Amino acid sequence: MRKSSLSVLPVVLWLGVFLVVPMLIVVGMSFMGRDQAGGVVFDINLTSYARFFDSLYLGIYWDTIVLSVLTTVICLVLSYPLAYYIANSGPKRQTWGLILVTIPFWINFLIRTYAWVLLLRTQGVVNNLLIDIGLIQEPLQMLYTRGAVLLGMVYTFIPFMVLPIYVALEQMDKKLLEAASDLGASSWRAFWHITLPQTKSGIMTGSVLVYVSTTGMFVVTDILGGAKSAMISNVIQAQFSGARDWPFGSALSIIFVITSLIMIALFNRAMTSRHLRVKEGR
Amino acid sequence: MKQMKWAGVLLASILVLSMLSGCGSSGKQTLNIYSWADNFDEEVLADFEKQYDVKIVYDVFANNEDLLAKMKTGGSGYDLIQPSDYMVDTMIKEDLLAPLNMDNIPNFANIDPAYKDPVFDPGNKYSIVYMTGVTGIAYNKKYIKEEIDSWEDLWNPAYKGKVLLLDDNREVIGMALKKAGKSNSSMDEAEITAAVDDLKQLLPSVLAFDTDNIKNKMIQEEGWIGTVWSGDASVIAADNPDVAYVVPKEGGTIWADNYAIPKNAKNQELAEKFINFMLEPEVSAKNYESIGYSDPNIKAKEFHSEEYNADTMINLSAEELSRTEWLGDVGDQLQIYDESWTELKSGR
Repeated sequence: MRKSSLSVLPVVLWLGVFLVVPMLIVVGMSFMGRDQAGGVVFDINLTSYARFFDSLYLGIYWDTIVLSVLTTVICLVLSYPLAYYIANSGPKRQTWGLILVTIPFWINFLIRTYAWVLLLRTQGVVNNLLIDIGLIQEPLQMLYTRGAVLLGMVYTFIPFMVLPIYVALEQMDKKLLEAASDLGASSWRAFWHITLPQTKSGIMTGSVLVYVSTTGMFVVTDILGGAKSAMISNVIQAQFSGARDWPFGSALSIIFVITSLIMIALFNRAMTSRHLRVKEGR
Repeated sequence: MKQMKWAGVLLASILVLSMLSGCGSSGKQTLNIYSWADNFDEEVLADFEKQYDVKIVYDVFANNEDLLAKMKTGGSGYDLIQPSDYMVDTMIKEDLLAPLNMDNIPNFANIDPAYKDPVFDPGNKYSIVYMTGVTGIAYNKKYIKEEIDSWEDLWNPAYKGKVLLLDDNREVIGMALKKAGKSNSSMDEAEITAAVDDLKQLLPSVLAFDTDNIKNKMIQEEGWIGTVWSGDASVIAADNPDVAYVVPKEGGTIWADNYAIPKNAKNQELAEKFINFMLEPEVSAKNYESIGYSDPNIKAKEFHSEEYNADTMINLSAEELSRTEWLGDVGDQLQIYDESWTELKSGR
């Protein structure tokens, strides 16, 4: 017992120094005031939190949540069949499938995002192709729209959904499916009652990863959205640079963390309660 | 698992080595520069290293606020920094800059008097101008046949969806203020609100807000017209000859990046030698020829190429410069600028 508690000491230290202390600094800063040059002055108040409840910031936060939920749902719908296909292929195909999913990670994220600019812009690959085959006469304005932002988010975070679902599918007990088929269940029914509930952990992990990453992303909105559809993370970033208001940026970050945790907890509960119901129904 | 362990050991030793190398075992003096990306011609830097037998370490920042944050934490270890105009003002007020010893910089005499004694640093006590530009209108003559001479022209409904704006609240709100005949650094809330309301009318026409890549968007003809710095306009026109540039009749914002030395600099004298070296007419010509911005060094004119001297976007006329205004510090009103800007960019 003593030995084991001693062996976790480095981990505790690591988390303490690199996670807890910075978080406490952010929490502390969110209650402070600012001076003209952007410094933080010791003057405990709630101004920064009060500012959040302006319809401007509430509206931006709502937009952020909508976009993140949409990204998560689209990622899920696209990823599940892919993960299912990979998990049920032969060993060689599985390896290749996983390599193809992870390859984009080898290339810098900014470069991949700029690649979308080359594809989508008015004189870009897609527009030129569509004009060449005569589908359209005038180039479409695809870039710098909310649609482009959504596309960029889905593209960026899809591997975060595919991989956890793949792992869950890979680990599930396949004998249950055989039993179901022996007892005369259709393959669809077997999927609904066995595969889906057993891969819930994968769906949950993937959804949380995608949701949280999307709410925190500010580069995609700048590059593909033309910086026209500000998300809460863009506002936070601005507070730490141009707006020189670190306390407000800190307060927004804290609110952001808390609401994300609540969203995750709600999601978690929804998933588990459904799981219980299925079990009890049997 | 064993491999992981070795990777850890390797990483740790690299860390330790990189820390040690900072101590400079070679005995050579080091000049630590903190500036914008690609702000100098690399050959010129190498020439300085050779001539003075020193090593230059060149770190970059992305905006003035990052620079300010680093300076305020102290002990940054930089000898030379390049803040923009309004940031020089802020840094002087914050007591972050060392007064320059002009005895070490005799070449200061080469600077165009128009760029001496700027409003943000009267008497050049702490800074010397490095490069300047004016925010005007760049437009593509292939798509725009009308004569462009006013900020009003950006609001022309014919350019809907083709207007580019800098991604900078002071620049863009300042532009709308100039359009209304006010100061670009107005502290009057009513004036700022009116300017932002005006910009909201422009918003449906805006293709994108962009500072770093606005050049590409003009070159690729994604945007037809936009707020562009004079030096960037020259770069755009070199790639796309259809693009023209104008300083609107209402006037535009002038800006400058400057040489300055942090208060806690270890090698102030070396930094001053560097500034003096950069102001040698021949060095200056080589440097600005490469970075493509206007050279405030009047003695350097004869060393520049004909092409450079003839470029009207690099060398703005005295008449054009007379219509420009520096951005001033707006103090606590910055919060209004930021809030209206957020409002504008979120489409509310």
